[in-house]
Amino acid sequence: MMDGFDWTQLLDFALMAMLLAVGIAIVRLRNLFAAVMLMGVYSLLSAAWFVTLDAVDVAFTEAAVGAGISTVLMLGAMLLTAREAEPVKAGRHWAALVVVLATGAALFYAIGDMPAYGDPNSPANAYVGLDYLIRTPQEIAVPNVVTAVLASYRGFDTLGETVVIFAAGLGVMLLLGLGGRKPRRDTEEEDEA
Amino acid sequence: MTGMEILRLVLDAASIGMMATGMVFVLAGALGVLRLPDFFTRMHAAGVTDTLGAELIIFGLILQSGFTLLSAKLLLVGFILFLTSPTATHAVANAAHRAGQKPLLSRHHPAHPRDRVEQGGE
Amino acid sequence: MFWVNLAAALCMSVAMALMLARLFAGPSLYDRVLAANSFGTKTVLLLLIFSLLTGRPDGVDIALLYALINFIATIAILKFFRYRSLEIALAQMSLRRAIGGEDDE
Repeated sequence: MMDGFDWTQLLDFALMAMLLAVGIAIVRLRNLFAAVMLMGVYSLLSAAWFVTLDAVDVAFTEAAVGAGISTVLMLGAMLLTAREAEPVKAGRHWAALVVVLATGAALFYAIGDMPAYGDPNSPANAYVGLDYLIRTPQEIAVPNVVTAVLASYRGFDTLGETVVIFAAGLGVMLLLGLGGRKPRRDTEEEDEA
Repeated sequence: MTGMEILRLVLDAASIGMMATGMVFVLAGALGVLRLPDFFTRMHAAGVTDTLGAELIIFGLILQSGFTLLSAKLLLVGFILFLTSPTATHAVANAAHRAGQKPLLSRHHPAHPRDRVEQGGE
Repeated sequence: MFWVNLAAALCMSVAMALMLARLFAGPSLYDRVLAANSFGTKTVLLLLIFSLLTGRPDGVDIALLYALINFIATIAILKFFRYRSLEIALAQMSLRRAIGGEDDE
């Protein structure tokens, strides 16, 4: 490689530029169908970006949930309402901009306090993280330490998350009217098995 | 051994050739979807070049990675794309046709003077 | 081989950006469905090339997952727009299956 420049960063830049373009388009488009498809595309780009950041497990979840299910469910919800968003008053635009800028400034200020990327002495990596890294090959012997943490060492956490996702899925299904109601057309009612 | 080196060289050259061809197809298809005038013409661009370019690129990647589990997974992805990409193309075209999308039959209005039907006199 | 993979990944990014332009601009919704499906396929290819570029074979699993989800989501969206509601779509499908085993026409 020439003079140490990491050329795969060009890919990161391209993905982030596309994320920015899609974000701006979601805000500016009034056709709701286009906005829903673009949100699915945003989730997909985020999943690809997570892969470039080496967070493969998060990318899995984002691709399956964000880019697939979320898009379809939001389309189902959109079909129950109108096809075009109503225009927002100008006062709301400025208020939203102020809130976003203030939050962004606070987050950027907080980044200065965070440890360096991959620092072995940071609090996340030094105490329990190191312990898991040492114990996983001996006790569990799977090659992926994240899987060992999620499924074994913090298994109750995963159980709680599964219950939450199940409850959310049930709620969405009930709201959208899935699962068990007869079709509305009287002429086509047959007795189903 | 020179035998293995020659094999490696041939595989690398084949892989580079396939990936280059695949990239040309994918870029041509993407440009076509952007620039062609009508929905059904864009369908041609996206449907044909997506499948072909994807299969060429995946085959080039398989040649790069030798005889491992990675190649088996790449082969599986290639097979899935080979089956689902044309099906999705057909589904979108069918849905658009049923919904009443009409193809754009003539881009130039009026027709060429040579083809214009005579109105009733010379 | 690294430079070929990198060039392929950058070409994929350019193709994805062109598809995004069609997603922003498409006058009808079928243009947008086409562009989204194609964008998903190109992202799958980008993930595959990236896995071989960096030597981490985990991206191939995600590409496999998303290749399937892309197809299912496209068909689901088209079925929505045919039947105009989620409930009617599912009810129609189960009704037709119960009557004759014929798929919808």
